[in-house]
Amino acid sequence: MRFVSLIAAAALLPAAAPDFALAQPAPPAAPDVIGSAQGDVSVTIYQNGQALVQDVRQLDLAGGRTRQEFPDVSAQIRAETVSLAGPGIGIVEQNFDYDLLSPDKLMEKAVGSVVTIVRTNPATGAETREQAKVLAANGGIVLQIGNRIEVLRDDGLPVRVVFDKVPENLRARPTLSVTLQVERAGRVPASLSYLTPGLGWTSDYVMLFDEAKSAIDMQGWVTLTNNTGTSYRNADVLLIAGNPSGPASRGGYNPFSRFGGGGGDATIDQPGTESGTRERLGDYYLYPLAERTTIANAQQKQVSFLDVKGAPGRKAYEWNNAWMGTGGDFRSASTVLKFSTAKQGGLGDQLPSGTIRVYMRDARGDPQFIGESRVDAAPMGSQMSIRTGDAFDVKGMATVEKRERLSSSRWRTSMRYDFTNARPEAVTIDAGQDGLWGDVRIVSASLQGERLSADRMEWKVPVAANGKASFSVVFDTRY
Amino acid sequence: MRAAILVALAIFAVPTSAVAQEVVNSESIDAISVTLYRDPGRQGGGIAAGWPGGYALITETRTIRLPAGRTIIRFQGVSQGMLPESAIIGGLPRQASEKNRDALLLSPAGLLDAHLKRRVALRRTNRVTGAVVVQDAVIEAGPGGGVVLTTPEGVEALGCSGLPESLRYASVPDGLFAEPTLSVVADIPSATTATVQLTYLAEGLDWSASYVARVADDGRTLDLFAWMTVVNGGSQGFERARTQAIAGAPNKEAAAAQPQAPDPVLHLQCWPMDVTSTHPRRGLPAPPPPPPAPESYGVTEDIVVMAQRRSESMMDTPLAVSVIMAQQEELGDLKLYRIPEAVTVAAQSRKQVAMIDRKKVGFERVYTGRFESFERDDHDDENQPGAASAELVLRTENRKTNGLGLPLPAGSVSVFETANGQSLLVGESNLQDRAVGDEVEFGVGDSPNLRYQVNARPRAGRRAPFRVRVTNARATPEVFELVIPYDVARASETLGKRKGQNVWRTTVPANGEAKLEFALRLEQDDGS
Repeated sequence: MRFVSLIAAAALLPAAAPDFALAQPAPPAAPDVIGSAQGDVSVTIYQNGQALVQDVRQLDLAGGRTRQEFPDVSAQIRAETVSLAGPGIGIVEQNFDYDLLSPDKLMEKAVGSVVTIVRTNPATGAETREQAKVLAANGGIVLQIGNRIEVLRDDGLPVRVVFDKVPENLRARPTLSVTLQVERAGRVPASLSYLTPGLGWTSDYVMLFDEAKSAIDMQGWVTLTNNTGTSYRNADVLLIAGNPSGPASRGGYNPFSRFGGGGGDATIDQPGTESGTRERLGDYYLYPLAERTTIANAQQKQVSFLDVKGAPGRKAYEWNNAWMGTGGDFRSASTVLKFSTAKQGGLGDQLPSGTIRVYMRDARGDPQFIGESRVDAAPMGSQMSIRTGDAFDVKGMATVEKRERLSSSRWRTSMRYDFTNARPEAVTIDAGQDGLWGDVRIVSASLQGERLSADRMEWKVPVAANGKASFSVVFDTRY
Repeated sequence: MRAAILVALAIFAVPTSAVAQEVVNSESIDAISVTLYRDPGRQGGGIAAGWPGGYALITETRTIRLPAGRTIIRFQGVSQGMLPESAIIGGLPRQASEKNRDALLLSPAGLLDAHLKRRVALRRTNRVTGAVVVQDAVIEAGPGGGVVLTTPEGVEALGCSGLPESLRYASVPDGLFAEPTLSVVADIPSATTATVQLTYLAEGLDWSASYVARVADDGRTLDLFAWMTVVNGGSQGFERARTQAIAGAPNKEAAAAQPQAPDPVLHLQCWPMDVTSTHPRRGLPAPPPPPPAPESYGVTEDIVVMAQRRSESMMDTPLAVSVIMAQQEELGDLKLYRIPEAVTVAAQSRKQVAMIDRKKVGFERVYTGRFESFERDDHDDENQPGAASAELVLRTENRKTNGLGLPLPAGSVSVFETANGQSLLVGESNLQDRAVGDEVEFGVGDSPNLRYQVNARPRAGRRAPFRVRVTNARATPEVFELVIPYDVARASETLGKRKGQNVWRTTVPANGEAKLEFALRLEQDDGS
């Protein structure tokens, strides 16, 4: 019996076919492939995750008042910053519509209108078509078919719903549209510009440190990331090293917050005073990319901008005690790399803020990673010191030897600082004591130090190879 | 003649994207080197289960045939946790001018998104007759919020009718990849075969030293053995990799957020009421594999011991004999441990290779306590704190004379002692990085036999007196140390200094006790 029904269904099909044959001559009007609607795009990217997009599009405009849609703009476009300019066009109004097309919305907008429903007989596979009026779409679709009222698919059987058209004002993507007053019909180059979050850049540096030669090789890469949801094709890209203030972090989470200016703890010992040769915009340096490039959505792109070989760089050790207390155990000193961005004896360029990764060759000659540090934007001529990590073999400890009360507000604190060096060569540690509050005086010290600021004092402590060193300081503290 | 299949063939136009650059795919890796770095947030101790918090520097050597001109080289099979901003490419005839990491994935949603407003084929199958109808359709909306199509009959929503429907695409659009892909753009002067090194940092790997300290029967020396425990949490294994590990604490900044690929899953959504029986729910991703087994200190050899019926020869060499041992080298201010042979670091695995093996390390047994000041309640003399158990540590100095004198990287320590001819675990603890010459302590744990009780006595002026009583239930005299990190005005015994802090050190007689009376110097404003 089943076989019979199959034959029957097969016999039915040729009858159904002309339906499709009739429908086929009116194929949906859409090109097979749509290229980007973008024109000549230039993108200017700031370091705070914001970008200015300029897009010159050739528009074929009818004369008079006309409404023009602009697809392929950033999905995160800041609509209030849009401006459009072109010869002979005036703006009547700009709209940014984000009422998006979905099956749900389609049905909602169909309330009150007539749709076609196609039922499929579950036993025979035969299709029947009916016209239905959508009465309501509240938790279920209520249809009027002839003089019956039905709820769509409440029996679970397959029912296709065919709508006549896509309702107006529903779009696949948020869409920018501008109503124009056009003087003369024809092709007009229109320049569209807007700001968008979601495009940002930082720099990543690769530093190869040669300890024996006290030299560094450094490569700089700009790293730009596109989270806007849109690709920018064949764009002219300009990077601006700086963070213009403004409502950049609109809308909560800003994945680019790390691109902000706060780059690590004091990596610039001495800010430089040399002017770079790169182009400037106000106080910002400009980094134009040499060639046009496509920034795809969800892409991270890196382009080289700096390559210096054999600049001087040396290693140092820093150890710091933040308050006048007993540490209780030895702490490792920081390994610090010192170098300059000066034209003479340095990298010869300013450094946009970013991350320096330091590598060193191992016994086999393979480069190995020895630490990284974020750096602030540094002008040319700066003395830099970056902490790459803790030294395994160089350690220090602070101890309060004695604390005596001199009067109700004066104390005398005797501190001892001990250092160990398990390396086979002598080292010098830059030891620092913070928390001097400006009113602490030095009564005596077994090692000559330097009061760098009201709050801080530093000593250069030589420690012999595989040796120890210590010094004592007596502070007079007001409290 | 099972069923008449009616197929209206859709005509697809091949996307005509003019590619000016040659694309070269590099799939195979000739040689690989992996250098592991510890989780910067883990000071000592073993590696917890779950996603490893450390990272690795991976260097891949690849042979690539390059055509002349501008070439895009796509690197496939890179490690999952790659930090693309750290990628360095060496060995190209000319420095790469551009590096890209693309995260648009080839997925149901990605395909649909790439075909938005384009023509695709909609395929419907009649469940009863098996008849297949293929129609042209234009995607009007999607993938977010559901899919709307324009078909020759009108506008329809995909997957809302309860009929088998699916979309057919003619080709894979440009720019969609099976996985996030790293590619470089390079200008090649003339066609050549280049040996390229791709170096990058990748997350999801970790390593730790795992120490096993076996106390000798005489209780005066121990044999110290350490595994280099390597964990790979990613799904990418490293075949025959030159493997190194770095000890020390290189500075590591938080990794930058990668651009996120849009959701690859296509969620077909419909109008209200379409909640049951229509389209099958997309399956949930498979549950993650169970966490790896915890590090097994000496578990293997325990099994060996059992199997050998505790033969005396096995007791003489209680540790598995390691044939290869990681070699230590200096790397700036860090220590590098190199496994002398290429090994395979498999995906989602733990690997252990011997790194330290020292016999007859001299040590001192010290029971330690720490004094914390408290105020005595005059009305409640009963309520003094009870006796605390002292913690046993095995203390030594990292020197050649003690059988050590080598860098000890941070890790976990298990201490074993022999009882009844069996090697048993007596305590576990963590070890920090210890340089040559540093003091090294292996914690064993709290001892029920040595207890110390602190009683506060009535305060007199600016003195806070305390009495300490240590009891020893062991049949041997034991060294006890109490750290008193305060300003001590007077004490009945001589106090020493240890790391800048007052410490009372005494030998408690076997099955006996020791006492200390001392008073803290209170500051003038104290108690206000």
